[in-house]
Amino acid sequence: MIEGARRGLIAAGLLAPAALVFAILFVWPQLGLFLQSLGGPPTFSRFLGDSYYLGVLGNSLLLGVCVTLVTLVLGFPLAFLLARAETRWAGLLLLLTTFPLWVSAVVRSFAWMVLFFRSGVASRFLQGTGLVAPDFQLIGTFAGVVIALAQVLLPIMIVTLYAVIRGVDRDLEHAAMNLGASPAVALWLVTLRLARGGVLAGSLLVFSLSVSAFATPSLIGGARAHFMAVTIYEQTLELLDWPFAAAIAAILLVISLSVALTYGKLLGEKTR
Amino acid sequence: MSRDGFLSRPLTRRTALTAATLPLLAPSARAQQRFTGREIVATAFGGPSQDLIQRLVYDPIARETGARGTQTPLLSANAFARMRAETQAPQIDLFMYSGGQQVAAKAGDLTQKLPDAPNFANVPANLKDADGQWIAWGLVTEGILYRPDKIATPPRSYRDFFKPEFEGHIAFPHITNGYGTDFLVMLAKTFGGSEQNIGPGFEALKRISGRANIFRSAAEVQTLFASGDIWIMPYDGASAMRSKAMGIPVSYAVPEEGAPYVLLTGAVAKRSRNADIASFVLNRHLDPEVQTAIAREIGWAPVNTATQLPPDVAPFMAPTDKLANLDRDAINANRPAWTDRFNREIAR
Repeated sequence: MIEGARRGLIAAGLLAPAALVFAILFVWPQLGLFLQSLGGPPTFSRFLGDSYYLGVLGNSLLLGVCVTLVTLVLGFPLAFLLARAETRWAGLLLLLTTFPLWVSAVVRSFAWMVLFFRSGVASRFLQGTGLVAPDFQLIGTFAGVVIALAQVLLPIMIVTLYAVIRGVDRDLEHAAMNLGASPAVALWLVTLRLARGGVLAGSLLVFSLSVSAFATPSLIGGARAHFMAVTIYEQTLELLDWPFAAAIAAILLVISLSVALTYGKLLGEKTR
Repeated sequence: MSRDGFLSRPLTRRTALTAATLPLLAPSARAQQRFTGREIVATAFGGPSQDLIQRLVYDPIARETGARGTQTPLLSANAFARMRAETQAPQIDLFMYSGGQQVAAKAGDLTQKLPDAPNFANVPANLKDADGQWIAWGLVTEGILYRPDKIATPPRSYRDFFKPEFEGHIAFPHITNGYGTDFLVMLAKTFGGSEQNIGPGFEALKRISGRANIFRSAAEVQTLFASGDIWIMPYDGASAMRSKAMGIPVSYAVPEEGAPYVLLTGAVAKRSRNADIASFVLNRHLDPEVQTAIAREIGWAPVNTATQLPPDVAPFMAPTDKLANLDRDAINANRPAWTDRFNREIAR
């Protein structure tokens, strides 16, 4: 009993600094924000009762899902290769994948804009495939925002997956193959399953960063980008409707938290 | 708000040259050392314009009159807050505004009458206060920017945005950019509406918005023109001048409906004891040589009608008799409603 109480004390002591910082810098301001959203005319019903604002919320969530899927599909093979590469260059290669994070979001977005204009390389390529109208341009489109966001968030997915895949015991894969599994089946049944924690962590990071992203959606999406962060910015700085902006921020937080929790729960249950 | 972008532009190469030659012009013997030992504190818009004005206005005045000038960078809204907070004991004498705050300042009894100065008479009546409480010393003039290599006949009217050959080559700023709001209002006026009847403006905007590029930030103007896809947009003449300096062929046209504008004004805090120096400082801002230098280096159009702009600068600004006076109070009151409507109907 005494041993247990001591352990509890130690755990509380270890948690205290982080909890304190979290409480002061996150919980307290969030509470303030929430209280602000209650001032003045009803803000939550204004948002939730308006199909335009619900569309904005839908756009942001869809953006989060698309970017997460793209980074997962592109990032997993790369992270797997890097984790299994038996070369001293692996570290350098991993470092190279983080390059997009080193460039300012604004500079990176301007570079994408050049590629996305009607006469830009990316738009030209799509026009050449004949799948889009001859004057199609990626700038100002949902797809353009997904591409640009996926580029910057891909390293986060790769680094997260890399660490987890490296931790997967290769002997378990060998054992599976000894028992008759083909390499593909071993990858599916053993490696992927054990790496689920990484998939979950990477997805949550990418999803939360996507739904709250501002600079890239605003620059690539232009005026036609109706996303939550852009709307919050507009209400705060352009229209000075702080209660409404606070309400939108609170709604974004609650919705994305519930999506993240549901996702985590689903993935967690499957692991068991 | 979003217009503050134009206040922090890099200088061109010619600045040093202009700044070096101007102080040689006409130091008034009459004013010799008459403000010795005194100091004036003024707000400024920061960046290159502040440096230029320090060299062209405050430094020479310090040499000629002994009055030391200190500029402190403050955006207009913050400057107005300071003016109000320090009503009883002002720390700043001269306030420079770009967002129309001088009107509220006068209405709130925060300003005092400026002692008259020779250049004030050359400023048109609509650009200065009838009671002498504030005066404009510069203008940001808006109008139509276009690529002369793509558009043979220079545009003359806001109606030109509806020419079929421009379809797919038009850009315009989002309504949260001040120029975007002014474009909407000018379209309304062109098609029979007004600040009070904005409907025709939205109808007109809807006709071009489908295939137009709607942008948010001032930094995108050059990128859009450089892309080659965009041939025409409503913006300010200074941006055309800057684009041209960067090697992108962009010209400016004053629409026949008039050029909307942003006023740059000066007003003195009510209890300031340095109104005489402030008036002297504003008068120097209005010297034709200084007006020309500000136009050339920063892109702000002169308000002193005696100013003769050189031929490489004049085409990028609207003269004071071609301005369109918009009802800013009505615009500000309607902004939230218009933004909402713009997001739903135009930026789709």
